[in-house]
Amino acid sequence: MIPLPLLILGLLAPQEDLAPKAYAILADRCFPCHGPDANTRKAGLRLDERAGALAMGKRGVAITPGESLHSLLIARIGAGPEDVMPPPSSKLVLSVEEQQLLREWVDAGAEYPRHWAFDALLPPRNESREVIDVLVEESLALGGHKPADPVSPTAWLRRASLVLTGLPPTLEELDQFEAADPKTRKATATDRLLASPRFGEHLAAPWLDAARYADTYGYQSDVYRAVWPYRDWVIGAFNRNLPYDSFIVDQLAGDLLPNATRDQVVATAFNRLHRQTNEGGSVEEEFRSEYVADRVNTFGTAILGLTMTCSRCHDHKYDPIPQEDYYSMAAFFDNIDESGLYSHFTNAVPTPALDLPTDDQAQRIEQLREVCAQLTLELDDLTLDPSLLAAWRAEQEQASAPPKGLVGSYLMDEREGAALRNQVQGKLAGAINGPVNWVKDRPGGGLRLTGDHSLSFVGNPAFRRWDPMTLGLWIAPSEHMERAVILHRSRAWHDSGSRGLQLLLEEGKPSFSLIHFWPGNAVRVRATKPVTVGEWTHIAITHDGSGRAAGLKMYINGALTECEVVRDHLTRTIVGSGEGHLTIGERFRDRGFRDGSVDDLHVFDRELSAPEVVFMARLDDQGLITGWKDPEVRNADWTEASWVAAFEASPADTVREAKRKQLYAARKELADLVDSLPSLMVMAEMPTPRTTHILDRGAYDQPGRQVQPKVLSCLPPMDPSAPTSRLGLARWLVQPDHPLTSRVAVDRFWRLLFGRGLVGTPENFGVQGIGPWNQELLDTLAFEFQASGWNVKQLLKRIVLSETFAAQSCAIRGADPRRRLSAEALRDQALFHSGLMVEKLGGPSVKPYQPAGLWKEKSGQVYTADTGVGLYRRSLYTYWKLTSPPPSMLLLDAAKRDDCSVQRPETSTPLQALVFWNDPQYVEASRVLASVILNQELSQPERIERIFRKLTSRRPNPAESQAIAGLLQQAQTDYAADLDAAQALLAVGASELNADLDPAALAGWTVVISTLFSHHGVISLP
Amino acid sequence: MKHLDRRALLRGTGAAIGAGLMASSWGQGNQLIRPTPHHLAKAKRVVWLFQSGGPSQLELLDHKPLLKERQGEDLPPSVRQGQRLTAMSGNQATLPLVGSAYSFARYGQSGAEISELLPHTARIADRLCIVRSMHTEAINHDPAVTFMQTGSQIAGRPSIGSWLSLGLGSNNPDLPTSCVLISKNKGGQPIYSRLWGSGFLPSKHQGIPLRAGKDPILYLSNPPGVSREQRKRALDALAQLHTEEARRNPLALERQEQAELAWRLQASVPEVADLSDESEETFELYGKDSRDPGTYAANCLMARRLLERGVRFVQLFHKDWDQHGSLVGNIRRQCRETDQGSAALVQDLARRGMLEDTLVIWGGEFGRTAYSQGPITATDYGRDHHGRCFSLWMAGGGIRPGMTYGESDPFGYNIVRDPMHVHDLQALILHLLGIDHERLTYKYQGRHFRLTDVFGRVPRALLG
Repeated sequence: MIPLPLLILGLLAPQEDLAPKAYAILADRCFPCHGPDANTRKAGLRLDERAGALAMGKRGVAITPGESLHSLLIARIGAGPEDVMPPPSSKLVLSVEEQQLLREWVDAGAEYPRHWAFDALLPPRNESREVIDVLVEESLALGGHKPADPVSPTAWLRRASLVLTGLPPTLEELDQFEAADPKTRKATATDRLLASPRFGEHLAAPWLDAARYADTYGYQSDVYRAVWPYRDWVIGAFNRNLPYDSFIVDQLAGDLLPNATRDQVVATAFNRLHRQTNEGGSVEEEFRSEYVADRVNTFGTAILGLTMTCSRCHDHKYDPIPQEDYYSMAAFFDNIDESGLYSHFTNAVPTPALDLPTDDQAQRIEQLREVCAQLTLELDDLTLDPSLLAAWRAEQEQASAPPKGLVGSYLMDEREGAALRNQVQGKLAGAINGPVNWVKDRPGGGLRLTGDHSLSFVGNPAFRRWDPMTLGLWIAPSEHMERAVILHRSRAWHDSGSRGLQLLLEEGKPSFSLIHFWPGNAVRVRATKPVTVGEWTHIAITHDGSGRAAGLKMYINGALTECEVVRDHLTRTIVGSGEGHLTIGERFRDRGFRDGSVDDLHVFDRELSAPEVVFMARLDDQGLITGWKDPEVRNADWTEASWVAAFEASPADTVREAKRKQLYAARKELADLVDSLPSLMVMAEMPTPRTTHILDRGAYDQPGRQVQPKVLSCLPPMDPSAPTSRLGLARWLVQPDHPLTSRVAVDRFWRLLFGRGLVGTPENFGVQGIGPWNQELLDTLAFEFQASGWNVKQLLKRIVLSETFAAQSCAIRGADPRRRLSAEALRDQALFHSGLMVEKLGGPSVKPYQPAGLWKEKSGQVYTADTGVGLYRRSLYTYWKLTSPPPSMLLLDAAKRDDCSVQRPETSTPLQALVFWNDPQYVEASRVLASVILNQELSQPERIERIFRKLTSRRPNPAESQAIAGLLQQAQTDYAADLDAAQALLAVGASELNADLDPAALAGWTVVISTLFSHHGVISLP
Repeated sequence: MKHLDRRALLRGTGAAIGAGLMASSWGQGNQLIRPTPHHLAKAKRVVWLFQSGGPSQLELLDHKPLLKERQGEDLPPSVRQGQRLTAMSGNQATLPLVGSAYSFARYGQSGAEISELLPHTARIADRLCIVRSMHTEAINHDPAVTFMQTGSQIAGRPSIGSWLSLGLGSNNPDLPTSCVLISKNKGGQPIYSRLWGSGFLPSKHQGIPLRAGKDPILYLSNPPGVSREQRKRALDALAQLHTEEARRNPLALERQEQAELAWRLQASVPEVADLSDESEETFELYGKDSRDPGTYAANCLMARRLLERGVRFVQLFHKDWDQHGSLVGNIRRQCRETDQGSAALVQDLARRGMLEDTLVIWGGEFGRTAYSQGPITATDYGRDHHGRCFSLWMAGGGIRPGMTYGESDPFGYNIVRDPMHVHDLQALILHLLGIDHERLTYKYQGRHFRLTDVFGRVPRALLG
């Protein structure tokens, strides 16, 4: 066998490969200072392009083709310590062999190769035999090797079953296979395996590694996130053999497809599975930029096999990916209405999010929307009842009752202790929390705030998004700050996703919002002009209960104000964060109304009409209650129209009020239903694209030049007719001339079957990666994969049926299927053999056994294992907590899922044996399988053979049977003498114990099976 | 091997693993490389007493009388220099300076200034090198702790212990190369397995948490009813089966080696964890907590036992130093829990002749602000995160003892002399272990990664 590193370095490869080898050496040792990155380039010399190497530099020409003696590069690499390249400070050296190779390359003309992965696919080879076998044999022949003999039919079936479904064949399947027609049985079995729902479950795992799928957000708090509908989409996609091009397009841009189905939108959760933080005090934009970068990196690694990450901070050192390309790519992923922080105080799903109603719920929602629209129309069409108006007006003109709907009226003229009296009878007073100053420049005086201390108003209604309301108060800012919190009912800023209602000054402009989760699920209107510094201004907000921007009105000094609509997408509740009371002047971890003054807060639980608001703003300081009593004051400038408007807004208009009540009831039912729906983070474009900038050194606060969305310049251009959006990007990936997408996919599927790939470094198809050991094979498969309509099952079937897959071994590691099983397959086969496995497709993740205290020691949270079914589902469904992943899976090399990963290393440590012996999951499975075998009417040798064959898919030889029999004999004797020990062992696991069986015999068999679970032949592919 | 470039060897290994060759065990066994140190090592092993949450340097190791004098005054803009604050105090209308509620005194011949909160540490002042000029870019816990432990704020890089495992291998094949001990029953900011994970290195390099109780290592104990003798017999039977299996696949023999190593671990780990052979006097040295497994003091004692047995890197975590408010009482509690154990470990190593080649590090991920987060009351205050300047101490392992390195301004806010970045600290640790931090690299995604990224400078003044 040729040691692979030698193959990789190409030292045994033929002469014509000089150029790629020389280029690889230059890339590794010289590009750090003389490569694509303009910022770190020394002496103006660039060696990654031939023109640069041949150009006249300060000290001469680096390379003169054909003349190594006249090439500075060759002189410098062989120079003494003073002059040698690479310089000693770089800690890089060139071996004598490498120097010689470069010399030969220069003498041969210094041809630069174009990097294979950026070039078009080689044309496919046509052969009468399966081309895989032809090309593998050619590779073998290079090292003087021949293909090995095929494995036994049952070993082949074991391989095929495990690589396609993650589960071994049953004894019945082995028997049937041995008895079946040798000509057709492999194809039949392959079809059966590909049609099994287990296929999708098994194929999902590696893709979930790439998609960094996890059940928690990561970072330190690491809260649960329900993203399993995406996992189920992946399983379903493989099971229904969704063509790979659609698989990619749906995940990147399903939301942008014409008439996108819900499934296609669910697929876009792929872009949202990066880690997210809610750590208090984090800078929102810092983490948002981190999320965008993660999308780009994942896209680069999972689909293109490129190390895009390197270009985030600077031009790529090795590959032709300038930093500008990175951010041009980021521009595709930058354009969703998201926050860099998820909410600590609520369980809001970070926006954009997709509601996931059942069909019935979806239908009911549609009905209710129609009802609301209809009632709104009817309300508009109602005609005035003049007699009701006249009666009401007569009453009002002399009435002394406070205006209807007034629930809070705080004049803030004097304090009663730390209290601010509510003029509305029977209502609680407001509270002054901390130091304030009384100011005298308002009639009756007002309050000047510190920005760190609040006024709070207990007992006001917790307005929901369907509740109409009116808020009014006087304010006087002392300066225009970027942001100042005036009035709110919410718990916090980022820490609660701003959930609640809030009146802010943003650069002096009043803005009012109703928020479920800022910014993606909220409504916000903002005045187009700022209020005046140092002057008292009256601000009033009315809401009609629609939860829409159109239903919000802002009045400045009584005049309806022109507002821009900042957001108009509120679909979920604005309460439920523990938001406390209506509050003025300060908010948790937000910027308060520093040195600003306030006066006269009024709160109504109905939408006031314009003349009523004017009236509120016109009052000096006697307040609405007193003012209302004085018709002189109130009626001074009221017209007929004012009376009509005020009447229609009041409950006295009983006709209108009845209709309003119906509308509110319908809105409430709709809101309650929508609030109850699960939802999923997905992609959705903002109407106005965000501007994307190059970030200097990748830092969020160092924006440089603006860039436009654009695909990588080193790859074929995008079809000019395609949209400049994620959809265009996704379609570009699956253009027939794209050199990477199909190669990366084929390599991944090959890796699934052989454990290793055609390409040495699946995470890096770039210049510094380890290229394919047979490019023609990779390209032929990639070409034909595309030609088949990206048919995944067809590709897998073809490889599984090749002679290569059936060979006992292969001198090329990347074509030898033998390896240890994955973490998932190991646990799954134990459950499967014992019959404990509960096979159910999809659903929320489950919590099987886990040693106690692992969550607690890290975060204080408690892991509670499921009871029943949750203990026995396939490992794919095990709850994946990023900061404390299932330990037995990590010990068996499962990917950590913190970021995109396309290859699991295979290690062998003593801790793995401890898992097989001592993890209750395996102990229990051993005991249950032991009782299964003891329940069968068999002789002991038959039982031994049956167990061994079940676990390894082959029959034991006499030595093996004897070893097992010996162990069994000893163990059963021990347990017969110590039944307590037997009972103790048999008590492991939650499943019921078969009490009819002899405990010593059962415990003895349990030990045998438990030992076999660590046997190489059980945990490996033959 | 000597004439070969070590870097090329490492690269070769990366390639081999990339191609799927099996990398086994943490011990010598048949591992692929046995790297030589780049230069003479001063230290053979490291214990890092990590104080998670960001202990306040201003109450512990960096005395700033000016803060007391100007208590309540706003932090001068000339000091802040527009540097970013966290979003926790960044929106406060004022940033009032606050002095330490605890007094400082000078100790030992070196005259090191140490807080009254750390009486035991004060007694070993002449063994310590106090660094008052640490700095980091991170201002939130997760990125900052990740930065300290992996050299990058972004998740996915190998931890320092796993780098050492890669670079130096194991001294005792019967124990893990890198161990983690977490104080039990602590609240505060969470920690996470990536802090001792192997990132993109093979998982055999990951740190192994040792826990108080029945199973110091996960899955270590046999199930109830399975005795050690029985396991041995099972292992012997497995050996026969593996001998047969090896005819088909020679890797079966390696699998058997790992199983036998596991069996030995089942004895060696409980032996380390069993403190019954420690003397009364030793328990007294570490304090009464040391009899209670899982406490910080007991973990300090356990750390010594692991180091004695050849474990390369021991990482303690003690959480809950995040005193945004109620600092006065909470920091006193934290010190009570940790002061004696930390000092005892240094003394214990010294009297066993191990301190000279064991590096001890005490410190957290960042420091705390000179100003109070929230109001200053008659009896209390709080401090926000501060990465621009904070303190830690080191001892043993080739560090110059009895010195204070670096200096902060009179506000304890900015560094005025000898700044030491997180990457410098990492470079220093590797240097003491005989490793050139620029040459311990691993190729992943086509790039040669290092613990110190492309930064780090060994502060020579600290070398003994």
